Amino acid sequence: MVEGQPRLLMRHSFLDRYYQSTSLVHRLDPRLKLLATLLFILVATSLPSSAWPAFLPLAALALVAIRLARIPLGEGLKRSSVALPFAAMVALSVPFTRSGQVVWQGSLLGLDLAVTSEGLLLLAAVLIKSWLSVLVSGLLVATTPFPQLLKAMRSLHLPAALTATISFMVRYLFVLVDEAMRLHTAREARSAGSGGTIGWRAKVLGGMIGSLFIRSYERSERIYLAMVSRGFAGEFHTLRPLSWQRRDSWAALLWGAVLAAIAAMGRMRF
Amino acid sequence: MHIPDGFISTGTAAVSWLASAGSVGYAVRRVNRQLGERQVPLMGVTAAFIFAAQMMNFTVAGGTSGHLLGGALAAILLGPWAGMLVLTSVLVVQALLFQDGGLVALGANVLNMAVIGVLVGWVVYTGLRRLLSDRPWATWVSGFAAAWLSVVIASLAAAVELAVSGTSPWGVALPAMGLVHMLIGIGEGLITVAVLAFLRVTRPDLLTLYQKAQGA
Repeated sequence: MVEGQPRLLMRHSFLDRYYQSTSLVHRLDPRLKLLATLLFILVATSLPSSAWPAFLPLAALALVAIRLARIPLGEGLKRSSVALPFAAMVALSVPFTRSGQVVWQGSLLGLDLAVTSEGLLLLAAVLIKSWLSVLVSGLLVATTPFPQLLKAMRSLHLPAALTATISFMVRYLFVLVDEAMRLHTAREARSAGSGGTIGWRAKVLGGMIGSLFIRSYERSERIYLAMVSRGFAGEFHTLRPLSWQRRDSWAALLWGAVLAAIAAMGRMRF
Repeated sequence: MHIPDGFISTGTAAVSWLASAGSVGYAVRRVNRQLGERQVPLMGVTAAFIFAAQMMNFTVAGGTSGHLLGGALAAILLGPWAGMLVLTSVLVVQALLFQDGGLVALGANVLNMAVIGVLVGWVVYTGLRRLLSDRPWATWVSGFAAAWLSVVIASLAAAVELAVSGTSPWGVALPAMGLVHMLIGIGEGLITVAVLAFLRVTRPDLLTLYQKAQGA
């Protein structure tokens, strides 16, 4: 990610570029958006790979939601590449396993291989499922500021120790990533990234990570003292509580009904 | 090793969600009992540290590079329970903000890397330390073994989940994930040992945070 390019600061504007919009999707309750996203991915995951006609309305639903939120599509397409290593493994196993109609047969390195239509169908289904899931979770973060998302998680009974840790993490994430980048640049400038033996390079990196940990630890001490001196007593308070509106109920009903129909469609025989 | 959505079945996702929710819930109770509020900024900043450390890499050979995953390191530095919460936070943020790893698959990713990865790292490290007692190289051997095993066993857990889901057959998933991570684990081990060596020279007090918290 950082190789080669001399980049001092991590760009994080991609995270909050679309928060300011006031589309319908932006205004929905974050709890609803979180649960709706999970439900969508659950329905997508549980569709059998033979039920490919059901993937069409599923994709249409995701695209309609993205349209309503008025955010560009390309983002999600780019991010879906994180699934590639796993896709390669599924692709690797396609020839060996599924019994069924043989599409291609041959031998490679002395192994008899057969690609079946069932295997290809499985590969396609897995890729579509993961791509649609990336699209909707991308939509969730693009339309919901992270503090709101944390508030939603807290009100869905995630333990406070976990949500508080996550909120501190997000707050200091880019500070520490920037420090890491500076260490990285300093090392590149001294060309310690490619010289010496592997053991020596690992030792250099270990020193960098170690000093990053010391800085992190000392920073966390300063943060804690600053919090205590401002009256922190173990509880986090927020000014604006979440409020469930009538439009949230309608959106939940509609989203749930469409997904239920798609799930039912996936269980029909084609 | 982050499993995306769509690669594991609903049943596998449900079981791994339950297992990781139970483990993380237990870790929360243990952390709250120990230090409570003081621990929160430390865990949060350490989670950001692990995330940042994962982005730093070193050249291995032929254009490939090694980088840290950090499960064993977090366990050694903060103890198993805070380490588990730190890695869970890292995985939640990676899944939500960066779409690295799925949301329904998050249970499986937390189980592999935050629960299994951290616990294996912790058990191997403390076990070997006790076994090798005062030998001067005890820290390095235990650190390397803990980091290597933590990565390899976490990857095997991921392979089992993929195989059980029918996404990839046992004969492909286990050797493919296992072999790749046996190599990745070497980088993990080297970096972890180097970090421990650095800290022992500069801030040895930071290597006993968990023991101190236990005593307090």
